[in-house]
Amino acid sequence: MSAQAGGALRGGRLLRVVGGLVGLVVLVVLAVLPLLSGTSNATLLTLTLMLTSIGVAVNWNLTGGFTGYVDFGHAVWFGIGAYATAILISLQPNGPQVGWHPVPAIVVGALVAGVLAAAIGRATMRLKGPYFSIAMLGTFVAVREIVRVWSPLTGGGVGLTLPPYLNRQLFYYVELALVVLLVSFTWWLRRTRFGAALVAIREDEIGAETRGIDTTRLKTAIFSFAGLSTGLFGALWAYQNTFVDPDIAFVEVRTIDAVMGTMLGGLGTVAGPVLGAAALYWLREVLWANLLDYHLLTQGVLLIVVVLFVPRGLVGLVDRRGASLAEVWGWKGRRRGGGAADRLTEEGLGDSAAAGPAGGDRDGPAQARAGSEPGSGAQGETAAGGDAETEALS
Amino acid sequence: MTVLLEARGVIKRFGGLTAVDGVDISVAAGKMVGLIGPNGSGKTTLFDCLSRVQAVDAGLIRFCGTDITGRRAHDVARMGMSRTFQIIRVYRDLSVAENMHLSLQWGALGLPGLFARTDAATRRRADELLDFLLLSRLRHERAGNLSGGQRRLLEIGMSLMSEPRLVLLDEATSGVNPTLVADIADRIRAVNAEQQVAFLLVEHNVQFVADLCERVVVLDQGAVLAEGTPGEVTQDPAVIEAYFGDPGGGAEPDGEADPAESAPRTGESASSTEGPAS
Repeated sequence: MSAQAGGALRGGRLLRVVGGLVGLVVLVVLAVLPLLSGTSNATLLTLTLMLTSIGVAVNWNLTGGFTGYVDFGHAVWFGIGAYATAILISLQPNGPQVGWHPVPAIVVGALVAGVLAAAIGRATMRLKGPYFSIAMLGTFVAVREIVRVWSPLTGGGVGLTLPPYLNRQLFYYVELALVVLLVSFTWWLRRTRFGAALVAIREDEIGAETRGIDTTRLKTAIFSFAGLSTGLFGALWAYQNTFVDPDIAFVEVRTIDAVMGTMLGGLGTVAGPVLGAAALYWLREVLWANLLDYHLLTQGVLLIVVVLFVPRGLVGLVDRRGASLAEVWGWKGRRRGGGAADRLTEEGLGDSAAAGPAGGDRDGPAQARAGSEPGSGAQGETAAGGDAETEALS
Repeated sequence: MTVLLEARGVIKRFGGLTAVDGVDISVAAGKMVGLIGPNGSGKTTLFDCLSRVQAVDAGLIRFCGTDITGRRAHDVARMGMSRTFQIIRVYRDLSVAENMHLSLQWGALGLPGLFARTDAATRRRADELLDFLLLSRLRHERAGNLSGGQRRLLEIGMSLMSEPRLVLLDEATSGVNPTLVADIADRIRAVNAEQQVAFLLVEHNVQFVADLCERVVVLDQGAVLAEGTPGEVTQDPAVIEAYFGDPGGGAEPDGEADPAESAPRTGESASSTEGPAS
């Protein structure tokens, strides 16, 4: 048993080393690619958008994968970053005509997304599981409509045009550097107590809180960081796209891609969202080119296959700290092992967290009263059957 | 003798049900107090109120002289009150060692500590505790793979990691085999004697409480029914009636087979009167 575990660990380490080396080679290739004469601007644009998709997925994974707060509206931060930047740069007559330099505008755009993420996260992160997910989806739709309606600030449905700055190579390198930084940050974060505490929140938030972890502060902090970082990708995207309107800045598919990419690669793993988002992006380009009518269908089938057969994603197969969506939401018993006793406890944990321990007592007093009435047959169970009773009730 | 934990008039309602109804309870520094009562008497809810997992509807809770009634759960934990849960809470997908490392004294960390890896001192303390709890060979095992009893021990270890002043143990012996129960009692006694850690124990195992505690509080229907030494409490007629449901039968928990008890309802259930005779 322990020898097997050791073997698996060593295998994991070998895989990690090989994976790291492959990653380095890919990085070097990506770094020199723009310098090769055959590389067109179209290729660079495609790769830049792929890097954007990877960046958003890595950010999504910080809250969705590590912390267990599955955000179905994550693209809202992308849109807010994009819009804030566009508003600050654009000189279009229907907007406020601020006319900032792009660099401070992009920085402030990202900060706006971060600050709003802190404010909104503070409220929505009181909700757990799917309720949080739906609240974020609602936030996403609401913000898009606010942007559409608030035309003095946002230019309304017409959108805002930005002065063109079409240096594909610069955007490419900036995004490549950002993604490398972000992945390194995630890798480092996971090794800190902060990262471990995030996983603890995902595993059992009440438990984490009662063991001294300030869960509210940590989860809001990581959510704000993810919002800020995705806002930065949005800000860069707005500038290189030279145009924003509500329907292209706030796109559901950006969230879906982040969720799907991360699930494909492995929730709560460092490499998962990178691999998954890249694979998904590439796959979509291929499918789009070859199966125009069916590409969405194929993508849907892929999602179903992943959820059913590789729920922990590709990297999740070897990374112990990964999780499936069902596990993140606490819907099913964890993998590997766990007999009847395990399942009993799992049912208890599956209860609404705060009411969990109390739930056992809820039916209790009535039963205790019944027990103390002379003539009722319930006397014996108090001492002997007590444990099983309470566990089953909760 | 300083009072470590003091609760006055704690009330907790769930809708129309008053789970905890004006309970007064106190634990002195370095002492062990037992909390017993029939199912649904509000023991776990009281624990949830004391550790601030649940907000109280009325009452005052003081810990180390500070009013903690409005404090958050992690604050209270950082002040030195830790607990275990009736339904075990360990981080199932993390290893036993990681579970321990994550239960350190978070209050002492500060920002640099939060962004650092687990330090040698924490590892050492975790290893010592795992040794002490006979779990060291399972150090790298996934916590979810442990047996129920081992997970109880792990949870006790986690509750001790932060060097608490008071530990609330919620049914530390439930689902644990008898030899391990004796072990747990030994460990608790040792921690109490060596480190002056106070314990408040919720238990169904009356013998376990009687062995460990000098003082026992009995809850029934959310209120304190009796309080005293284990001897006094188990002789108290009100306790015997509420806890064992039998005013005349004495302190035997196996009341269901007691003929004295089935006698009054012979009319309805003839089989139960015949049972003991056969």
